[in-house]
Amino acid sequence: MSQPKEIFVRLDRCVGCHTCKIACSVEHSRSKNLFQAISEQPAPKNRVYVEWAPPDRKVPILCRHCEDAPCMHACISGAISRTEEGVVITNSDKCIGCWTCVMVCPYGVIGRHMETRKAYRCDRCPDLQVPACVDACPTQALVYRTVAAFSGDVRQDAAREMISGKGS
Amino acid sequence: MAVKQMQYIIIGASAAGMAAAEAIRRLDSEGSVTVLSDEQDMPYFRPMLPFIVSGKKKFPEMMLIGQGPYRGANIDVRINSRVEAVNTADQKVSIKSGEELPYDKLLIATGSVPNIPSDIAGVEAEGVFVLRTIADACAMAHRAETARHAVMLGGGLLNLKAAFALLERGMDVTLIVKSPEVLSKLMEPDDTVLIRNALNKAGLKLVTGSSVTRILSDSSGVIGVLLDSGREIPCQMVCIGKGIRANVEFLDKSGILVNQGVVVDKFTRSNIQNVFAAGDVAVTLDPIAGERIVTGLWTNAAEMGSCAGRNMAGQPGIYSGTFGILNAAQVADEPFVSMGIVHTKGTAYEIHITATPETYRKLVFTPDGTRLVGALFIGDISKAGLYRYIIREMMPIKDIKSEIVNHRLHYGHFLR
Repeated sequence: MSQPKEIFVRLDRCVGCHTCKIACSVEHSRSKNLFQAISEQPAPKNRVYVEWAPPDRKVPILCRHCEDAPCMHACISGAISRTEEGVVITNSDKCIGCWTCVMVCPYGVIGRHMETRKAYRCDRCPDLQVPACVDACPTQALVYRTVAAFSGDVRQDAAREMISGKGS
Repeated sequence: MAVKQMQYIIIGASAAGMAAAEAIRRLDSEGSVTVLSDEQDMPYFRPMLPFIVSGKKKFPEMMLIGQGPYRGANIDVRINSRVEAVNTADQKVSIKSGEELPYDKLLIATGSVPNIPSDIAGVEAEGVFVLRTIADACAMAHRAETARHAVMLGGGLLNLKAAFALLERGMDVTLIVKSPEVLSKLMEPDDTVLIRNALNKAGLKLVTGSSVTRILSDSSGVIGVLLDSGREIPCQMVCIGKGIRANVEFLDKSGILVNQGVVVDKFTRSNIQNVFAAGDVAVTLDPIAGERIVTGLWTNAAEMGSCAGRNMAGQPGIYSGTFGILNAAQVADEPFVSMGIVHTKGTAYEIHITATPETYRKLVFTPDGTRLVGALFIGDISKAGLYRYIIREMMPIKDIKSEIVNHRLHYGHFLR
C-alpha cells in the first residue's frame, strides 16, 4: 500500500507572506478564481493560518489530521471521520454547530461558518493533486510528502550539516 | 498453545460503551465483544435528541454505527437486553430474558438516569417528560403536535436545548429555574447577560428564583403547574431537567463499590477484578478542582470509554480525569464554551473579564496568577481548544499570559 502524503511545515522557511491563506480561500470558494472569490458572499474562508510569534517567527498552522484525533472522538453528532487517505473530515450535513470540536482541538485550527453554523477545517484539497497552500508557497515552507520521504529529507539535511562541520 | 479467546461484555450502548467496544476491537481482533443495551433501538448519538423533539432530524440521521469513529465491525450489539444483575464471583451477567452471559472482562457503561425531585407532586401525569432516550424524544415530539404551551423545569444545558427545540416548533415555552439565572452550573449570574439576551430574543419566557411544587392535570394530561409563589402557569406539557444520577441500581448485590457512581482507579478498574466502568456511571477525578465528580457529558464518556476499552484489551492506559465543567454549545445565536473553574465568587482566584456588546471572556487563574484554571467564552469561542490544553496540562504561562488574557493566543506560542 502506498503511504498517504501529508502537509509538513518547515518553519525555518516561512517568511510570513500569507500566500497560502489566499490560495486556500480561493480553492474553497465557489468560483475558484481570486477576483470573483473576493466578492463572494459568504466570503470564502481559509483553513491555513499564518501567525507571528516572538522574537520574530512566522508560523503556518493547519489541521494535523491527528492520528487519535480529539475532535473526531469528541464530536457529538458523528460528523467527523477519517478517510482512507488519513484525512480527518467534517461532514457539513451532519455537523450541528455545537462547537465541541473547537473546544477540544489543541491546535486551534477548526473554523466556524457563522452563517450556516457549520465547522470547517483543512480538507487537504480533495480535488487537487497537491493542496493549494503547498502549491502556492513561494519558499516551500509547506511541503506535501509521505512521512517516510519527509523524515528521509530531514536526515539527509542533518547529515550534510554534520559533514560540512556546521553541526556540533 | 492457543490463546484463549476473550469474552468482553459491555453493559450500555451509548458513548462510553461503544467507544470502549471500538477500542477493544482495534487491539483484539479475536475476542468476542458483546454490548448489551436496555433500549429498543440501536445505538445513537444521544446529544442529538433535541433534533427529534424539534422535528428537524429523523432517527436514522442520528444512528451511531457507521458514523465518525464508530465502525461497529464485529461488535455484537444486543438491544432489549437490560442487565438485571452482575455475578462477580462467577463472572456472569443476567439479562432480562433470563439468559446468563459469562465474561472475562466486563465494562459498566450504563450511564445516568434523570433525577426527578421528590418534592414535585403529580409527575406521573401524561405530558410530563424527561429527555433521555429516543423513546422520550419521540413521545415529546408527539405531545408537542397538540400542545401549545410547554413549561421546562430546570435551567441546565439539556433543558435549554429542549426548550429551543419546542420554540422551533412554534410553541410557547416557559423555563422555570430555582437559581437566579440559567446555566448556573456553567457560569455565574453576572456572566450570563449575553445568553439571557439571546434567550429573550428567541422568545423564551424565563421565571427565575422559583420552583414548581405541583403539576396539575386532568384526564387530558397536564393542564398547568403550580409555583412555590402560588402562581399558576397553564401548559399542556412539562419537561423536567433537574440533573442526573448514575444508573447503578442493578449493581446492588454485586459487591462492586458504588459511591454516587461506580468508583474506579486511574485505569478505570472497579474494586472487583475484571470489572471496569466508564462514562456517566463512573466516578472520576477532576484534576483541576481536585474533586471526585460524575460528569454527564458525551465527550468525556467517549474519552473514558476508549481508555477503559484499551485497559480491558490488555493495553494499560491511565485516564487522567476531566474537568467537571467542559461544555461547548450554542444557545440561540450565542456560542459559548465553559471549562475548568469558572465559579469564582468569594474565592481568591485571579480573574480577567473582557466584555463587549457582542462577546464576553472570563479567564480564571490561580490566586498567584501563575496558572490558568478556567475559561468562559461567550460570542467568540475561537481557538478555545488551546485554552483547554493549557488548563489540562497545567502549563506554565509566564511568557504567554498577556496573549491568553487578550485573546491573541495561537499555536505558535506553544512552539519553542
